[in-house]
Amino acid sequence: MNEHSRILEREKIEIETLRDAELRLPAVAPREPFPIEPVTPDARQQTRAVGQRATRPDGRLHGLGQTKYIDDLSFPGMLYARIKRAGIASARIKRIDTSAAEAMPGVMAVLTGKEIPVNSFGPSFQDQPVLVDEFVFHAGDGVAAVAAVTEQIANEALDKIIIEYEPLPAVLDPVAAMRDDSPKVHAPNSNIYATKVIRKGDVEKGFAESDHIFEGRYSTQMIEHVSLEPHAAVADWDANGRLTIYATIGRITLARSDMARTLKMPMSRIRIVGTIVGGNFGGKNEITQEPALALLSKKTGRPVKGVFTRGEEFTSTTTRHPIIMDYKTGVSKTGRIIARQIRLVLDGGAYCSWSETTLGKACILSPGPYKIDNVLAEAFVVYTNKTMTGAMRGFGAPQVCFAYESQMDEIAAKLGMDPLEIRLLNAFDEGSPSPTGQVLHSVVVKESLRKAADRFGWEPRP
Amino acid sequence: MTDVTMTVNGQMRSASVPPETTLLQLLRDQFHLTGAKLGCDVGDCGACTVIVDGQAVNSCLMLAGQADGREIVTIEGLASRDRLHAIQQCFENSGALQCGFCGPGVLMSAKALLDDNLNPTRQEIRDALSGNLCRCTGYTKMIEAVEDAARMLRDGTPAKLTQARTEVPVP
Repeated sequence: MNEHSRILEREKIEIETLRDAELRLPAVAPREPFPIEPVTPDARQQTRAVGQRATRPDGRLHGLGQTKYIDDLSFPGMLYARIKRAGIASARIKRIDTSAAEAMPGVMAVLTGKEIPVNSFGPSFQDQPVLVDEFVFHAGDGVAAVAAVTEQIANEALDKIIIEYEPLPAVLDPVAAMRDDSPKVHAPNSNIYATKVIRKGDVEKGFAESDHIFEGRYSTQMIEHVSLEPHAAVADWDANGRLTIYATIGRITLARSDMARTLKMPMSRIRIVGTIVGGNFGGKNEITQEPALALLSKKTGRPVKGVFTRGEEFTSTTTRHPIIMDYKTGVSKTGRIIARQIRLVLDGGAYCSWSETTLGKACILSPGPYKIDNVLAEAFVVYTNKTMTGAMRGFGAPQVCFAYESQMDEIAAKLGMDPLEIRLLNAFDEGSPSPTGQVLHSVVVKESLRKAADRFGWEPRP
Repeated sequence: MTDVTMTVNGQMRSASVPPETTLLQLLRDQFHLTGAKLGCDVGDCGACTVIVDGQAVNSCLMLAGQADGREIVTIEGLASRDRLHAIQQCFENSGALQCGFCGPGVLMSAKALLDDNLNPTRQEIRDALSGNLCRCTGYTKMIEAVEDAARMLRDGTPAKLTQARTEVPVP
């Protein structure tokens, strides 16, 4: 605490002196490392953090612009990689001609999917190729990668890569994709690649006992994380056959095993350096271009950097699942929910990524925080020829919340009830069982609703 | 190749670059000032904001040639040798930067505002930062930090949050 008081004291003095100081531009070399004082916030020194002010330990470097994100790193002899995107939703690749690109001055290497030792990865199912080799599954798929001495040359080289496609029928609507006669994204497998069912009580009996039945379809759109820093990585395959990757990956141990699998090399030869990430939000949880960069580095013997463009962020990285949500709810005259039947269709895009996790959480949370005796929730996640969907804040929870709360408002309006009242009537209590039978503790939903309503002056509208 | 000479953070710098080089690429790749970031490359996100002749500019939209002979200030020129700029101090105190990627741009937009106007209203601060996107969604604290910095530069009162940092008894 003494050390800490001293820091506080010094800061106070610094600010006092700053009052008179002339804030002029430094006449010193800008790369001079700024002296970094250790900033130890109160919250990190004491056991109780609530009520304490905490500043970020990396806040000062951020403010100085000295935090090194991947794109701020450079290594001697470093090359720049760019990836050629398919631009077609579903196709068979008939021919790839990279000779013109390879002949360009400044282009050091070109890589195609066939050169990748094990061309598939993924956190639950290994269904995603690093670069597609035979079939294109969505328009953002990488087909070839180029490493060149400048980014400009790499971009120009992409235009010289000739690819002939045989277009195949694409399936873009997740509900249509569930039908047996729809084109299969990953033939011969079914487009439905994971399901979850939650059953509690008897919904048919519940609906029979209900006074009113409400049915509605709700849907949400695809959302990209748009973290301000694009996906970026630098790969360095050294002469001893050891690989170092600097990457914007949140889960470096998972990335390490994925890299070992795709490159068919022991994990002990791979080192992944997770640096400061400029926003993740679930979008940087798995590898993307890293195996391709590693192989380009192996081919050229030089470090290779790859940074996605903003466009690639939208087409070629994971997004939030669009969900089509069908809700059927039976309520009594008094507004008590008796039964709820739910069907969720998650549009998984071309690859699984974190869809299984999202499916489970969306399904478990789909009945809402309400005491309902009879529940049937069925959830399906299906392949379509679109950008893959994966983890994003909440893993499916925000989508289903939109659906059940929209329906609660509709029920309240139809029954002429106050929207707050109907929620208070049905909401979980301390010890209520969740739809999956978990007994819930520290349940404060009613208190929270009452307090919030009180704070912003909620009154039933006429 | 285009030859450019400009003042960057008080120093004369020159370089010979291909004509299509943007000011951002010049600063990052030639002058190794990596504080300004490439976020979108089309002038939407403001992560590349620097000050050119007193105006906040998206450096990804300005060619290096256009900056020839002008005065550039980047985030690296904000602090002096051993002292943070008031804006930096207030952003740190408020915890206004989360992942930090938008930070250099936001700070430069704030500096351009405060250089012009030491008495900005909340709306003027919002307008000044409207070209800077933050996806961690920490705008409230940034606006508070700019207000604090304006107060600090104006009448020398210490940043609000430093004052509030008192001992809290541990139960």
